[in-house]
Amino acid sequence: MLIWVCALHCEAKPVIDFYRLKKSHDDNAFDLYRGDNMACIISGIGKLASAAASAWIAARYEDAPSIAWINLGIAGAASCELGSIFALNQVTDADTGQRYYPAPGADSVLPGYACLTLGQPSEDYRENQLYDMEASGFMHSTLRFSSAELTQSIKIVSDNQQHKTGKDRPRISALIHRHIELIDQQANSLLALNQEIATLEIPAECWQQLTAMAHFSQTQKNRLRVLWRYLMNRDLSTEQLFGKIGSCASSKAIIEALEQLSYRESEGL
Amino acid sequence: MVSRVYIEAEIRDHPRAQQLLKRLHKLPVIEIEHFGEVFNPRAQNFRLQKKDPAIIIAAKNQGHVLAAPEGYGLGGDRNYYFSHMLNCIYDCRYCFLQGMYQSAHQLLFVNYEDFGAQIKHIASRHQGQQVWFYSGYDCDSLANEPMTGFTDYFIPLIASVDNAWLELRTKSTQVRSMLKQQPVSRVVTAFSFSDHFSHSKLEHGVPAIARRIDAMRRLLDAGWAVGLRFDPVVYHQHYQTAFVQLLNDIFSEIDPQKLHSVSLGSFRLTRDHFRKVSRLYPEEPLFAQNLDLNNGIVSYPLEREREMIEFCETQLMKHIPQQSYHPCEWHG
Ligand code: SF4
Repeated sequence: MLIWVCALHCEAKPVIDFYRLKKSHDDNAFDLYRGDNMACIISGIGKLASAAASAWIAARYEDAPSIAWINLGIAGAASCELGSIFALNQVTDADTGQRYYPAPGADSVLPGYACLTLGQPSEDYRENQLYDMEASGFMHSTLRFSSAELTQSIKIVSDNQQHKTGKDRPRISALIHRHIELIDQQANSLLALNQEIATLEIPAECWQQLTAMAHFSQTQKNRLRVLWRYLMNRDLSTEQLFGKIGSCASSKAIIEALEQLSYRESEGL
Repeated sequence: MVSRVYIEAEIRDHPRAQQLLKRLHKLPVIEIEHFGEVFNPRAQNFRLQKKDPAIIIAAKNQGHVLAAPEGYGLGGDRNYYFSHMLNCIYDCRYCFLQGMYQSAHQLLFVNYEDFGAQIKHIASRHQGQQVWFYSGYDCDSLANEPMTGFTDYFIPLIASVDNAWLELRTKSTQVRSMLKQQPVSRVVTAFSFSDHFSHSKLEHGVPAIARRIDAMRRLLDAGWAVGLRFDPVVYHQHYQTAFVQLLNDIFSEIDPQKLHSVSLGSFRLTRDHFRKVSRLYPEEPLFAQNLDLNNGIVSYPLEREREMIEFCETQLMKHIPQQSYHPCEWHG
């Protein structure tokens, strides 16, 4: 699952169009667009709005085994060229001084840059830093649900000391759209990483089916989870695994059967 | 593949930091205030990070040299350990570092002089006693040698302190810088080995056994003291034949009479480390084996462990003199 968090609709539009995301009509707290294994939420401007939207959408997808995140938006800069694109590698909250370190991988196709998240708009640009209004709120919130390796913030320079894009929405969309291929590449690497983590987790339906087979204490559930996570990643299909415990009459018997299977399977390392 | 460099702003001008930056000039460099900002946060995934770790260049400001845990050591009067680096370039699935730290980044401390001063101070407090300093507890002592220049600083330092002994523990073949130096009898390089099968399954990125035996032989030939560590011995269906094969491979190249010390221990992790590591790698057979919890340590059931250790000891004793053997006494 990949979630895009954008402050403005015009920042999200290139992504919505590229992935053909559909507007969700069930939700009204935030504008939400959904697609296959992907969603895009429009948070509104500011770090609080970004944090709130990220937390809200994380709760909606609590059953997702793992979530990857991209905050996509515009930023100001002193000396960077208009339209240049960066994956942030350091985000500082101007109000609290708190720093966050999103971690684009070694295969990142985007150059890294530091960003200062401001509470109020400003044009008092400093060298070697981008300026935005959301990244710190986004990081603060998403790092509660995912690791830094699955959390990225991509910024496109819309304003510098010479040029101002301001609130020209079509122009903002165009600046972002120019890089959509690169953004897609970045998103695909992140999705691949996320998939690696997601496949290790027991799918929610499978877990429900498993725990409905008998009454498990919390300790037994913990053990069951460990055993199942191991066995489902071996050469055994879910059907085969359920077949092995089909005749077990109690939670204890299920766990014993899975333990024996696990010990046998692991002898050869 | 190393993805980027974090560097503490205050240490940027340190000559060792400058050398590292020169070496790593192709990587993005991100300035930080303190290494804890990137090394300690909870929201990190060790498994994902291990694919593209960062190098963190920092200074250690306290706790440079610490008393070694109970049972750690080769029978010296005093045992201490220190780590010029946290984490490792290799990726052994049984390694406790995976459970120890939130981060898989390689943290390099460049203020060797502060470690050195502490080593001298501790040794001077125990005049007339043999004081051991173990490196390679939180990292592999030599694996990053071309980058860290660890032995260039610490070996001459140990040589200058009469009652200090140094153990370097490694799975690497990085002995070139040692071969350029005069051997110091109080420096022991301990090479760790697992059998070929365990090596292929569990020791990701670790050089081949034959290359490590060769590195060991070159050090011995040059007059350095060398030790052998069979720790951890890992259970698998064919561990007995595999262990015998490993011993044959080593002792066909190495004269056992020349070894400083040999030790042996079976796979074990503290409960907390085990929990963390097995969550990170739920598909790993090593953690799905029949294991027991005894006094906070997860290891093989006592009977299996006894059988493994007895077997390996018997085989080992066919090659080495009894006095060089130091079993790992972790049961207390
Ligand atoms: S070589 Fe040693 S320190 Fe490095 S990963 Fe393997 S066990 Fe851990």
